[in-house]
Amino acid sequence: MKILLTGGSGCGKSTFAESLVMKFPLPRWYVATMRSYGAESEAKIARHRAMRSTKGFETIESQTDVGKIELPGGGTVLLECLCNLTANEMFDDEGNERDPYDKILREVRSLAEKADNLILVTNDVGSDAEAYSDSTLRYVDALGRLNAAFASEFDTVYELVCGIPLLLKGEGL
Amino acid sequence: MILVIGARASGKRDYVASLGYGPGDVADGVLDDRPVLYNLQDLTMPDPEGAPALFDRLIEKEVVVCDEVGSGVIPLEKERRLGREATGRLCCRLAKEAEKVVRLVAGIPTVIKG
Repeated sequence: MKILLTGGSGCGKSTFAESLVMKFPLPRWYVATMRSYGAESEAKIARHRAMRSTKGFETIESQTDVGKIELPGGGTVLLECLCNLTANEMFDDEGNERDPYDKILREVRSLAEKADNLILVTNDVGSDAEAYSDSTLRYVDALGRLNAAFASEFDTVYELVCGIPLLLKGEGL
Repeated sequence: MILVIGARASGKRDYVASLGYGPGDVADGVLDDRPVLYNLQDLTMPDPEGAPALFDRLIEKEVVVCDEVGSGVIPLEKERRLGREATGRLCCRLAKEAEKVVRLVAGIPTVIKG
């Protein structure tokens, strides 16, 4: 089963994602995509780690190239999150940019085939009207298109609002 | 407590008025004894660290109204990033305790809890 979770910052996506994963049997893999940029991201990573510590997750650090992750088969993968993965695939440390759409689509599909279940966490980055740079707008476009593509092919889509899961597509769990 | 959320200008005030609250019942971005608080985000965005401590007073309210501020591109400024997170997390806690959570989209209220 493939499930997409979307919603804004601080809306309870991680907590809900982990409660969903707990409904599936072991093994459970957490694919962590966040690059650490200092104290704030370290704090976020630590908070997510603490939430998972008692839940039987094995953490796989994979900031790019999620298609290369090797899994023994079966089990449930929680990938958090598509917004970081998209930024990491799109921009490198030297300031180069490439369109990440095809690669991410291919690699997340490939990852999904290696497990029984995939839960993919994303974010709604298109709902504002700030005057961003062209490259930021290309990022917003890429992530929006990826969200739509995965929502279209996944079984179930939820939006989280104030910690409340709203079922947008498919059967709830 | 009823939690009312939605984007800026999505019809939250009209919804609260439809519940029977008049202008005298409403505190706008200040915590006092009036039963309705508008614009919770005006308290949390400038002071993300202080946001969790507002919880006890907010659950005593009859209605708490907050803009959904977590969408859109993650801001470059740290304070705004933390403000969005703190507002969202506080709303998650309030939603858990609320008898009812109503979300406004284009003036249309949807009861998402209760």
